[in-house]
Amino acid sequence: MSLLNMILKPRILFFNPVRHAHSKFQELSAIAQTENLSSNSRAEFFKDLNGKYKDINAIYSTSSSYAVTGKFDLELIERLPSSLKFICHNGAGYDAIDIDACTARGITVTNAPDPVTNATADLTMFLLLGALRKLNPSLNILRRGEFKKGVDFGHDPQGKTLGIIGMGRIGRAVKRRAEPFGLKIIYHNRNPLSPAEAEGVPYVGFGELLSQSDIISLHLPLNGNTRHLIRAKEIEKMKDGVVIVNTARGAIIDEAAMAHALESGKIAAVGLDVYENEPQINKSLMENEYALLTPHLGTHTTETLASMESLAMENARRGCFGEPLLTVVAEQK
Amino acid sequence: MSKPQLLLLGDIDHAHKEWKALGEIADIVEPAARSREDFIKECKDGKYDNVKVIYRTFQSAAITGLVDEELISHLPKNLKFIAHNGAGYDQIDVHACTARDIRVSNVPTAVDDATADVNMFLILGALRGFNTSMVALRNNHWRGSPPPPLGHDPQGKVLGILGMGGIGRNLMKKAEAFGMKPQYHNRTKLSEELSGGAKYVSFEELLKTSDVLSLNLPLNKQTRHIISTKEFELMKPGVVIVNTARGAVMDEAALVTALDKGQVASVGLDVFEEEPKIHPGLVANQKVMLLPHMGTWTVETQTKMEVWCIDNCRSALEKGKLMSPVGEQKDM
Repeated sequence: MSLLNMILKPRILFFNPVRHAHSKFQELSAIAQTENLSSNSRAEFFKDLNGKYKDINAIYSTSSSYAVTGKFDLELIERLPSSLKFICHNGAGYDAIDIDACTARGITVTNAPDPVTNATADLTMFLLLGALRKLNPSLNILRRGEFKKGVDFGHDPQGKTLGIIGMGRIGRAVKRRAEPFGLKIIYHNRNPLSPAEAEGVPYVGFGELLSQSDIISLHLPLNGNTRHLIRAKEIEKMKDGVVIVNTARGAIIDEAAMAHALESGKIAAVGLDVYENEPQINKSLMENEYALLTPHLGTHTTETLASMESLAMENARRGCFGEPLLTVVAEQK
Repeated sequence: MSKPQLLLLGDIDHAHKEWKALGEIADIVEPAARSREDFIKECKDGKYDNVKVIYRTFQSAAITGLVDEELISHLPKNLKFIAHNGAGYDQIDVHACTARDIRVSNVPTAVDDATADVNMFLILGALRGFNTSMVALRNNHWRGSPPPPLGHDPQGKVLGILGMGGIGRNLMKKAEAFGMKPQYHNRTKLSEELSGGAKYVSFEELLKTSDVLSLNLPLNKQTRHIISTKEFELMKPGVVIVNTARGAVMDEAALVTALDKGQVASVGLDVFEEEPKIHPGLVANQKVMLLPHMGTWTVETQTKMEVWCIDNCRSALEKGKLMSPVGEQKDM
């Protein structure tokens, strides 16, 4: 390989190593200079941006990328070199990246919406069934050696109303899974979808959804408008004995208010995969057996992670070689 | 004219209104006995000599033991009907009942949705490997350290259903919504309409080609330990098995060995060979999802089941026949 070729190869900085889509990574490494982040702190990263990373062209990031450098906020974005044109995130949620700051610097951000859809919808159904059926206490009672002792009766989904907040890809994937369980589905979205897009599911106002649903499932992104969308006031409007499922972002719900309502019995059970301050979880929730809790495992499968990695790498490849990007974030389309 | 006698073995938890109405056409008697020995003594003492119908629950076996040939031999001569509250009636020796001209009913269909729902929960739980992380979270270790192995998606995986009755067919529809590819084995091949286009395969092919194996067949002499050491060896390495049928269709000790060897990656179980006793090798295994027979444990389904069983009693008392006699006695 000639020196010229090496010099002209685009540089892609991987904030986390690729662990599943190995053959895609090998393909990419043949045509681009791929390397893993070596900086050990935010301060060190800032230093490296003026040093060894001063000519990087693209960043590949994951949801655990912020552990070392902190969020991709204005301060960090401003320090990125002018050669950096693409941030290719391998997750669907990109609330930890300041998109406005990126746009101002001519940096395009891509995310990975499709690969996460099925895995997140599958987990949603696991949590929905587990919470509605009140299975969590029985899991514990069994392991304590008491088989079925004192176990409460749960409820069947057949004929219950499921209110989906956020009818994007994941919301619609949940709808398709929920239907054979006999759930009646209604949805609320920023803007109503066409009846065809909504696959026949009726659109209702936010307040209506709160008061009509037996089960409420959140499938919307976290941003300035959706932070603490569900607080004590909203919970009060819900049916007594409502079940809440959240596989979106913890901060959409006021976690303390939800814990309080679960304790009082206003909420019968919850199924959660995300929390306001992961990995910290509200103490009262932790102690409540009617809370079925998973530690942000929404996309934690070999197949889905490989798919997410592949998509982010493909976006990085396209960006570096002047081809159209596959999944630019909505704010920048 | 005095009312006929009905013996209640077990509890009525939900259908109180319907039970009260039944009490208007029959005199209800209940055992004081709290053991099999004492119950048999009550029978011998003539306490139940006028009983015509028995309403029994699955849990009542904790007092009477199994309704086997020995117990049946002590049941009163006037007894003509046993209405069992449950879909699986393996606790009852139907053959011995037939010999004594006692007719038995079960509760089909009402259990289908609830059981298939738990079945789907267990498929997802076992395939995605949630249990280890759920335990780690509760112990303040978030996902666990070291983090557990990754789970797998159901999309594109072959779901092998052993026993394509009401529950198996109900499960199939739900599993398809998750992108699973169903195939089944059954005593007899079903029509296209009934099987919903799922592929019918031999028992051996089911074992060899399924990524997830779901047990949805009744327990009887032919199916006891139908899944054991030999069968685990035929399965795909890393197979996931789910059982919401009866524990004894699977050899529990052999399962523990297969799990330890890694032949079976994970299981989701709602039933166990010797409920409420569970093999300690399972209880200690964090990678498996275990529920204590929750298959129909909802207000709605339990109510429906009790009402169905009460209706069988009423039909027996008023019309001299059961609504839903068990398969083996359909031509009686």
